[in-house]
Amino acid sequence: MTPSEENQLDVQPAVAQPDGFAAEAPVTGKGRLEAAWGSTEGDEDLSIATPTSAKSDGQIFKQQYKTWNGELNPRWMRNWAILRHHLLGIFKKGHRPWGVPIRLYLLVVFIASMSDVGMTLVSGLIGDSGLHSVWGVSRDNLYGHVLGFFPRNMLYYPVVAALLVGGVISEDRQHGTSALYFSRPITRFDYVAMKFISVAMIQGLLILITLGLYYFAEILTMGRGWSWIIDTLPMFLATVFSAVLLIFTYTSIGLSLSSVSKGKFFPGIALLSIILGTKVLAFIVSNLFDREILYLISPYDCLAHVGQAIIGTQPTYDQYSWTWSLASLVAMNAVALYVLSTRVSSMEVTRE
Amino acid sequence: MIPDFDQQGKAQTKEWAPEVSAPAILLENVSKGYGRIFALSNITLALNGGVTGVLGMNGAGKSTLFNILMGKLKVSQGSVKLFGTDPWKNPAPYARVGFVPEHEKMYDWMTGHGFVSTFARLNGLTRDEAKIEADRVLNFVSLEDVAHKKIGQYSKGMRQRVKIAHALVNDPELIILDEPLQGCDPLARTTIMNVIRELGRMGRTVLVSSHILQEIERITEQIVILHQGRLLALGNLHAIRERRDQIPHRISIQAENPKALAKNVIDIDEVFGISFPDGKNLSIQTHNLGAIHSQLPRIIVDNNHKITTIDNPDDDLASILGYLTSGGRV
Repeated sequence: MTPSEENQLDVQPAVAQPDGFAAEAPVTGKGRLEAAWGSTEGDEDLSIATPTSAKSDGQIFKQQYKTWNGELNPRWMRNWAILRHHLLGIFKKGHRPWGVPIRLYLLVVFIASMSDVGMTLVSGLIGDSGLHSVWGVSRDNLYGHVLGFFPRNMLYYPVVAALLVGGVISEDRQHGTSALYFSRPITRFDYVAMKFISVAMIQGLLILITLGLYYFAEILTMGRGWSWIIDTLPMFLATVFSAVLLIFTYTSIGLSLSSVSKGKFFPGIALLSIILGTKVLAFIVSNLFDREILYLISPYDCLAHVGQAIIGTQPTYDQYSWTWSLASLVAMNAVALYVLSTRVSSMEVTRE
Repeated sequence: MIPDFDQQGKAQTKEWAPEVSAPAILLENVSKGYGRIFALSNITLALNGGVTGVLGMNGAGKSTLFNILMGKLKVSQGSVKLFGTDPWKNPAPYARVGFVPEHEKMYDWMTGHGFVSTFARLNGLTRDEAKIEADRVLNFVSLEDVAHKKIGQYSKGMRQRVKIAHALVNDPELIILDEPLQGCDPLARTTIMNVIRELGRMGRTVLVSSHILQEIERITEQIVILHQGRLLALGNLHAIRERRDQIPHRISIQAENPKALAKNVIDIDEVFGISFPDGKNLSIQTHNLGAIHSQLPRIIVDNNHKITTIDNPDDDLASILGYLTSGGRV
């Protein structure tokens, strides 16, 4: 409604507002003083404070509420709104504000993850078979793209997960913005599921998209045909599955930590400590006592062990079966999701 | 730590339908405790239609009550129903509810329009619908001129109004406003009061809290008074006041010539005492506030008195609470 001449009232002392406490209005709010002294609606202090000059200090608009006769759309529409709010925040303003350092780091990791894509393109362009044998698509290189420890699972992916999960639930708790979600017809399951998917999708953008580009670069530069694609597709899909497992595990552990804390520092540091700390601990024990069993408490080592098994590379964990690592991964994810669902379903928001 | 299996999965607003006979708000024996302290104790309440003011001093339990209604807190005892459905178990009724929280945590980097349309989408509107509805409610709260400025640049009153707009974007049947006038300048307060009154006129159920009686008085006469987590009074503000009229009241009048005014008002039967706190003020004691106020205007006009202010110092929430908590004695 654009305020028009007839529905705006200059603030003047003791001017009767025609529709203030009309007799037909169901809610009058007429106080005794107002009844006795003939003052009308609104803030009487205002009229006392305003000088009787031709120039008005402000305008009070008459509110005319227009109803909306539309229909609310289904659940997926609301969930999509949450998801896009988080995802688009990476790329543009006006959505969830991921910090500049986070966005810069994501860009750096994206470019760094493309190193094998670039080298494959270079090897194809200059026709260097030696370079291609090192960087081109192979079972070991596919494994390395997703599950290689240094630098990818030491500097890239766990840090990205830590940065993303850091504030995604805990900041909502700290600032009370979760209250804004919970005052909508959004279940807590949907709320946390969309948070989970948005964090996982951003990681997927870095890991799976670059993996796909790597595979595509090999086809493009080396002129691979259908037979090569059919030969290598199973190990490519196994790598994709390993990547999904990695993203799921990092996200579920990270979000469970985010749900039990306020602030973004603890969840991020705790996730890095769990991923890298258990790895270091298991590595030390393995070297000192020649026992690899502690790798079972390390999320990264379990992922690597399962990845080696399904992609088909040479296993580096040979004291126990990969199925133990798979069982350990399932247990880790179950505990993390249990904590996450418990915390979110019973979350009481005590500040807005 | 056990998962809360009371939460029931889907909030399918299309499948959910309100109970026809159910009131907008129904609280039955609701208590909320934090450890050994009860913020709300055994509240039973049913509200449907019109504006209801929730009055109470700080810490009376107003915000706890609203947080329970909005599914942010789980009740320790009793049951809460919005349109016949427990919102903690199924948030579908929130499709018909708008909430304006007390403390603002808003997205300062967003424009007012962006903020409102984002939350419209969380209610299930499409992008185009959300933009249209955001325009509608921003016009309603008179923010159309600054709709595309960032919220971070808004004044307190504008922020309050944009919060109201975001609560109205789904055209709710029930609107809950927690201290909406706090910190606003007079113009913003007047606009917000007009908004609330207009919604009440439309037959919407509006619940608005304040700890200032005069604020609520200008909006509605239907009130709920909370005190230390307990429901102290529920009903018409005038009816509560009428009961209180049987005990002494003061009327404080600042006049140019208070002694001349005193000479005229001393003849009123209901006046039983007069004093002069200082040279400019006259204080009248009475048992019947209404009778005095009905005669004062004529006395002032007939005798050409010049009056600056008239005030009822005993007519505030604290004195009403004092009256109610003392079992009708002051």
